[in-house]
Amino acid sequence: MDLFPLALSLQVALTATAFTLLLGIPLAWLLARRRFPGRDLLEAVVVLPLILPPTVLGYYLLLIIGARGPVGRALAAVGVELAFTWRAAVVAACVGSIALLIKAAQAGFETVDQRLEQAARTLGRSEWSVFWSVTLPLAWRAVLAGTVLAFCRALGEFGITLMVAGSIPGRTQTLPLAIYDRVQANQMGEANALALIAIALVALLVFGVSRLARLRF
Amino acid sequence: MRRLVVLVACLIGAGAAAAAQPLPVLTVFAASDLAFAFNEIVPRFERTFGVKVTLVLGSTGNFARQIEQGAPADVFFAADESFVDHLVAGGILIGETRSLYAQGRLVLATARTAGQKLTDLRQLLDARIRRVAIANPVHAPYGRAAREALITNGLWDAVHPKLVYGENIRQTLQYVQTGAVEAGIVALSIADVPEIEWVPIDPTLHRPLNQTVAVVRRSPRPELGVSFIQFVNGPEGRAIMKRYGFRLPGEF
Repeated sequence: MDLFPLALSLQVALTATAFTLLLGIPLAWLLARRRFPGRDLLEAVVVLPLILPPTVLGYYLLLIIGARGPVGRALAAVGVELAFTWRAAVVAACVGSIALLIKAAQAGFETVDQRLEQAARTLGRSEWSVFWSVTLPLAWRAVLAGTVLAFCRALGEFGITLMVAGSIPGRTQTLPLAIYDRVQANQMGEANALALIAIALVALLVFGVSRLARLRF
Repeated sequence: MRRLVVLVACLIGAGAAAAAQPLPVLTVFAASDLAFAFNEIVPRFERTFGVKVTLVLGSTGNFARQIEQGAPADVFFAADESFVDHLVAGGILIGETRSLYAQGRLVLATARTAGQKLTDLRQLLDARIRRVAIANPVHAPYGRAAREALITNGLWDAVHPKLVYGENIRQTLQYVQTGAVEAGIVALSIADVPEIEWVPIDPTLHRPLNQTVAVVRRSPRPELGVSFIQFVNGPEGRAIMKRYGFRLPGEF
């Protein structure tokens, strides 16, 4: 059996989770700790990917990053192709999963006692240092739980990926897309095998992490 | 934990290795009615020309939209001519490479689990036929032809409540194969599977499915794409296409 979809899905989900952390943690902190104009709007935009149908997201994403879209054309000018490559699958996975991380991390940050942060500030710590030495260490369980959820969501991302990355075997056909493809082709044996792999992987991950970190999902 | 890291690293490495192809790669987007025929043609072409073909099967209309948005197809085998002509007009496909490669046929398929084989479209009205699968008529040419055949027969309104749309003709077949629906209208070229029985549908009931192909303008290897088209239209390709029930250029 061809295990490329599994390898690709892991590669996409890991890369997407890395980007999700880079972008999501600052956003979560911003939402938890700062009051600024447009904050409510930002909060709404952040949860939008959870609420909108993936096909809608995928369609608009394709209009933006496709060969004729503004981002697609700008990237093409510097020689980078995004739509219908594995990178597009990463973008799709990020869009689909980032809200899960942000909401979990935001809730985690909000439960951290702000007086402890104040204490660190009176001791001369910079905001950056306060975050790394006080806020994050106290909220890491929530952040980790959000990360695991986001990773699993990225691994299972289907609708957005289908729209922006296509389902090209050996190139952009991720595990969920491969399962769908095998079912269409009535290759139930392979579909079942791939589905079992996906289930085992996610179950193992969630179980393993919650055991190691004594998390509650 | 370390073992997990090693495992993940190996899998990523395997993925990267699988992605790096030493042979020239030709990406072919093909209407899903070609699934069986191309599974035979592609390996022969690969051996003859020393290339690797990535075959992507799906609905013609979806592929047309994807190619318009820059999908990395080199050649586009559509299930009719309208989508190809539209893309040629838009400069997306190379007009000089446009050629007819087959004419598709519809069959009325009955799932073996659904009892006696249907022999006439009118029998779709029978009470024992609760669901009828056709390909999505909006973007799949075989679905469009199925709708035309039903309309010509004056059956569309009566059958409409029973219809289930497959995203493409291969998925439509799968609905019948698994017995999820009792009957369906599918392509002759993929109808020879053990789970179904079928009868041909009179081709004068719908506009002809003139299946057309062209090379994509963005393709970095258009000459290889042309070679593949010539291979499909050559003696070896034609023999296989004929075996799967296609009518071939020059025969109609």
